[in-house]
Amino acid sequence: MVDRFVSAPLELPDPEAAFARADLTFYDVDHSGSSFEARVFVDNADATVETGRDDPSYAGSFTVFGHGGCFGDEGHCDVPSGPEDPFDLSPPHQLTPQVKLVVITDALHRALAAGRREATVTVVAQTPGARPNDVLAFSTVRLLTYK
Amino acid sequence: MSPTVPAAPAAAPARLRHRRSARRLTAGQAADLRSAVAAAQAIRDDRGYQHHAGIHGLPLPMSCTHGSPLFLPWHRAYLFFFEKALQHRVAGVTLPWWDWTHDHAEGIPRLYARARVDGKANPLRASPIQRSGREPGGTDHTVRDPDGPGAPPLPTRQQLDDVLALGDFLDFSNQLEDIHNGVHVWVGGTMADIATAAYDPLFWAHHAMIDRVWRLWQLRHPHAGPPASLLRRALPPFPATVADVLDSNALGYDYAAATAAAPGPGHG
Repeated sequence: MVDRFVSAPLELPDPEAAFARADLTFYDVDHSGSSFEARVFVDNADATVETGRDDPSYAGSFTVFGHGGCFGDEGHCDVPSGPEDPFDLSPPHQLTPQVKLVVITDALHRALAAGRREATVTVVAQTPGARPNDVLAFSTVRLLTYK
Repeated sequence: MSPTVPAAPAAAPARLRHRRSARRLTAGQAADLRSAVAAAQAIRDDRGYQHHAGIHGLPLPMSCTHGSPLFLPWHRAYLFFFEKALQHRVAGVTLPWWDWTHDHAEGIPRLYARARVDGKANPLRASPIQRSGREPGGTDHTVRDPDGPGAPPLPTRQQLDDVLALGDFLDFSNQLEDIHNGVHVWVGGTMADIATAAYDPLFWAHHAMIDRVWRLWQLRHPHAGPPASLLRRALPPFPATVADVLDSNALGYDYAAATAAAPGPGHG
């Protein structure tokens, strides 16, 4: 778990190719601990928790409603891995990682207008109150545009 | 010949109950809600407040669904059965909704924020948390820390309009759930953790708002809805499927900003 993450540069779409909406999709987001807001900045590898929402690189945020910890015995919070049993009607494990989405249409337009052809994605976690901020974990961030 | 008054239809359509804005309840409606919640909080068995609050989080199992296309249907069923439990205490009472896109200066509506009413503790301000519902070392009653350090701002009307404009159910559900998450974090305290959130009486007003937004979206997009593959999915522990909860009118309720009623002349 980290409190801040800077991605490798993502190739941006052709500036001549129009798009109506752009999303950043975050896969396998952990939600087992504290709730937090993940603030997303495009093309600003220096963004921190102090960087404001009025910064031009601010693209939006997603919020995790956290499980709050593990309350079972040992193994209770281990998410099963491997192939699913097609005959098992049980609901998914409560801590199955989630997919989160941030609509970044305006921020992507700004980056393209500034001549960027690739850009990093910086994600900064902010928990409420005095809780630790090292709650951020996900497997992949993907940029998608739609016509 | 004296005019005749038609008899009441033998099978009059069932009367819908209306959930109203938490900021627009009449004094009587607010008193009924407090009475119903206080009465439910006093019951320790499976008709009581603790039982219903515990379905969402602790004690295990946590049955709620988040980060899933079942988020909206499951919570609609959850509110339905909790509202029924309140109506068994005070007939006709309904869950108010908290419109968190308005009155940001006030924050939490006074109905839920004031500490005392008529010389007694306000049951909508806080609730006990049963021992099995507490996090390790956690508090024995609900607490809030609204707009505390690090909390995201409350949603704006524009954010809500943007979500209501989405035409795809899964996209709508996903983005509305994120708005929902932010409000939980904004309230803070025990509302900010899945394990304890539903013990806070404000939880139900927050989720009535989420359910209302879904209802508004359904009215705006009458031909959109969950994928067919979801319709027969069960919503445990409730005896309902996704299809069962799509139509709030079929569940006997709808949403109104405010209501008032007076008796008619009768049929005698």
